[in-house]
Amino acid sequence: MPDIFIAEPKETAAAPNEPTPLINAEETLPPQNPVRLFSALKKDPDGIDFQDKEDDEKIILFIRRSFITNVRWLFFGSLLLILPLFLPFILKFFPNPLLFLPSKFYFFLSAFYYLLVVAYWYVNFISWYFNISLVTDKRVIAIEFSNLVYKDVAATKINLVQDVSFEQIGAIRTFFDYGDVLVQTAGTLDNFTFESAPQPENIVHITEDLIGKHNELFG
Amino acid sequence: MNYLARISPFIQFGFLAKVGFLAMDFFFVLFLIVAVRQVYAMNSIISGSGNPYIVKLVIFVLLIVAVSLFLTALVIL
Repeated sequence: MPDIFIAEPKETAAAPNEPTPLINAEETLPPQNPVRLFSALKKDPDGIDFQDKEDDEKIILFIRRSFITNVRWLFFGSLLLILPLFLPFILKFFPNPLLFLPSKFYFFLSAFYYLLVVAYWYVNFISWYFNISLVTDKRVIAIEFSNLVYKDVAATKINLVQDVSFEQIGAIRTFFDYGDVLVQTAGTLDNFTFESAPQPENIVHITEDLIGKHNELFG
Repeated sequence: MNYLARISPFIQFGFLAKVGFLAMDFFFVLFLIVAVRQVYAMNSIISGSGNPYIVKLVIFVLLIVAVSLFLTALVIL
């Protein structure tokens, strides 16, 4: 009797003793040395990705300004936050400038005032958070961001770096161990400054080692 | 009638104050939208540098509160 339909043999599943292939095991693992929300300096950080990053490029240093530099706006913001508590006392000496407003406006103005204070904190925080310098095994990258309007990304190859030095002037900078790291590049290229970087001496040592290794390898 | 005539400048001033407040809040909302865009732009330049979820969450909470304040002021004031 002729066969009308012959089923194609099913593809056999992998043998039970054969190991199941992993789906990109590296991506599924959480980063071992991640950069935290308030990290200012991290050596060999994991999980960072930036525009134009090459596949074999490894980040050696992740640098932000020292967190202590945020004290000024934190303090000023806190002052603004508690200022309305002293308002009745202040208004004893000065005429109330909002007296002409209907009373129902007071709640809305207070809410708006506190929104402005939180926004002030937020803008200052992200100005610190996104101001990042990176030293990779191939490049030095500086990402500048300030007050929501200024954004600049600059990079130079590590073999163009000629000298790395640091400046730590003042008692506060010495006490909290932060300072400016100057990365000088060859020729007419722009120099880089890692402003108020924590542990500047360590950063200089690590970057100098990197330049030395690079020069040994590539002449 | 006499009473209404007496309080009408106050009502007009209240209306102007409301418009002023709404305009102020509207510009603040625009400012926050710019902030959201910049946060997203910076996260596309560099990612993994901290906790982007918290950074985004805070700005969205601010934006929602500002929009709520605008709408509430529009109705109540």
